[in-house]
Amino acid sequence: MTAGPIITPGDDRPGSLWRDAWRRLRRNRLAVAGLVILALLVLVAAFGPWLTPYDFLSQNLDARNLPPSMAHPFGTDDLGRDVLSRVIYGARTAFLVAVLVTAVALLIGVVLGAIAGFYGGAFDKGLMWVTDMTMSVPQLLLVVVINASLKQPITLWMEARYLETLNPIYRNSAIIDFVLVFGSMALISWPPYARLVRAQVLSIRNRPYVTAARALGLTNRIILTRYVLPNAAGPLIVAVSAGLGTAMVLESAFSFLGIGVNPPTPSWGNMISDGLRVWTNYPHLLLAPAAVLAVVTVAFNFLGDGLNDALNPKGQK
Amino acid sequence: MSATLLSIRDLRKEFPVRLGAFGERAATVHALDGFSVDIVEGETLSLVGESGCGKSTTGYCVLNIQRPTSGSVIYAGTDIAKLDDDGMRPFRRDLQIVFQDPYSTLNPRMTIGDALAEPILFHGLAPKAEIRDRLRQLLADVGLSERFANRYPHELSGGQRQRVAIARALACRPRFIVCDEAISALDVSVQAQILNLLLDLQEKYGLTYLFIAHDLAVVRHISDRVGVMYLGRMAELARAEALFARPLHPYTRALLSAVPSTDPRAARNRQRLQGEVPSPLSPPSGCRFHTRCPLARDRCRSEAPALREVAEGQSVACHAVASATETNWENSPA
Repeated sequence: MTAGPIITPGDDRPGSLWRDAWRRLRRNRLAVAGLVILALLVLVAAFGPWLTPYDFLSQNLDARNLPPSMAHPFGTDDLGRDVLSRVIYGARTAFLVAVLVTAVALLIGVVLGAIAGFYGGAFDKGLMWVTDMTMSVPQLLLVVVINASLKQPITLWMEARYLETLNPIYRNSAIIDFVLVFGSMALISWPPYARLVRAQVLSIRNRPYVTAARALGLTNRIILTRYVLPNAAGPLIVAVSAGLGTAMVLESAFSFLGIGVNPPTPSWGNMISDGLRVWTNYPHLLLAPAAVLAVVTVAFNFLGDGLNDALNPKGQK
Repeated sequence: MSATLLSIRDLRKEFPVRLGAFGERAATVHALDGFSVDIVEGETLSLVGESGCGKSTTGYCVLNIQRPTSGSVIYAGTDIAKLDDDGMRPFRRDLQIVFQDPYSTLNPRMTIGDALAEPILFHGLAPKAEIRDRLRQLLADVGLSERFANRYPHELSGGQRQRVAIARALACRPRFIVCDEAISALDVSVQAQILNLLLDLQEKYGLTYLFIAHDLAVVRHISDRVGVMYLGRMAELARAEALFARPLHPYTRALLSAVPSTDPRAARNRQRLQGEVPSPLSPPSGCRFHTRCPLARDRCRSEAPALREVAEGQSVACHAVASATETNWENSPA
């Protein structure tokens, strides 16, 4: 048979690199704190309708601009609406937007970046031109321009569809806002992901284990999906964590400027904008949404830093 | 003598080096320049030479992992050097490779079991139901317990990883394996284990090896034939005993005299080479060795010597060597 005795593995810590990373992440207190805050917020956003004591739309003009109390922990706004309920619904908006925008941007970025990095050539050059151009224009400006130029054609098209089908869904202008604002946010958010994936793929595609996979005769598709992309995932996960936070802040920024979510749909951005006008008299209207936004942003940063340390430990390839 | 497994003819590999903003062709690296050899079924053919002499490029080009610039590699009646990825796929099963660095040749995100099962399933060599048995057998072949199947590469030592890499090459039941410096990165004690493993597997499965190495002691121990390469060309090709007993090419002599002796009292009659290996970007004209050769004549500077058989199973590319006994090496100026 073969030379020497059969070797059996010594029983040290078993597990994949992912499990090792999770172990490192759990030891990082700030990252765990960020994770807990975000998990709570996701739960609150998901179960919002069952948690909120009041409807976020119902006005009570007898109870306007009330300071925080037992009945209204965050007080009420100038239309007598419960601020806590609106903050919770704002979390729904923020998470929905952040997840959708990031998912779309990630999908576009991974597919384009992986193809560009793996195959190179003219497609790669063209893609890099597009990403350079997109990233060189201020995001806010770009979104405003895309919005301004697309809003009218889309509105007209929706109107035409409504007259054709009489389906009330085409009458819902909130949908237009959502699609437009967050479509354009996704359109400007994918280039960083594409660049990151491309850079990762470029560095991984010449690693010996990829050459070894070629020597086995495996197809490009298998090599890309099973050898290259899993090894590119670490930095991508960090980028997604940061990207979710950025998308939330961006959504609030657009809503603050009045080009994002339109009232009466609550968004932290438009709540801050409303609160800012009256903050000397009713500071709780500004503080409640602003504090929540700040906490969420910080939580994403803690988690992102922790993920970065956990997935790219020093001294490990 | 058995049949020829691979017939390699005039294999060349050039790497264009592009410089400048518009990628204009600036220079060409002549990594492999007219390499020819017949690899006989069941033998171990070793290639030795200094770093950058084209040993590894030869291995990659023979397997068409790097596309040769020209030349042919005939395997089973087909010139595989001309095939593209799709055309090459059915041949990959028979022609495998073990790489130098076991730390980077295994996908860190894949368990050993998955890594070994992939080529078997991909080439349809065994149904899914039999995979477990195949894995157990493959791991046993390379001296590893079945329990390694659930492990990840980073949990294994270098020697264990190289055993896995060998098992992976064996997974397709190949006929020919290129061992590209397959033991160079390992500890000396582990080197011996892996070497013995390779020899046992050769016996068991009738494998043919192209063994690329720079350790002459190892090469002497395991090779049937040895090829000495210098700057992308074969300098000398001979049966291992003959080469070590009676090296004929001046470069081979210098290379062998550089091997340290275990006897401290042995007379040291070293042939020292002057200077550095010339750049493969602009290789010397004529015989590529003439810039460092103590025998160099005018003819060597202009005319490249062909590889000629000068004795039974011993070929040399040198103008100074007429036959195994007739060289002007001895009467050269020291």
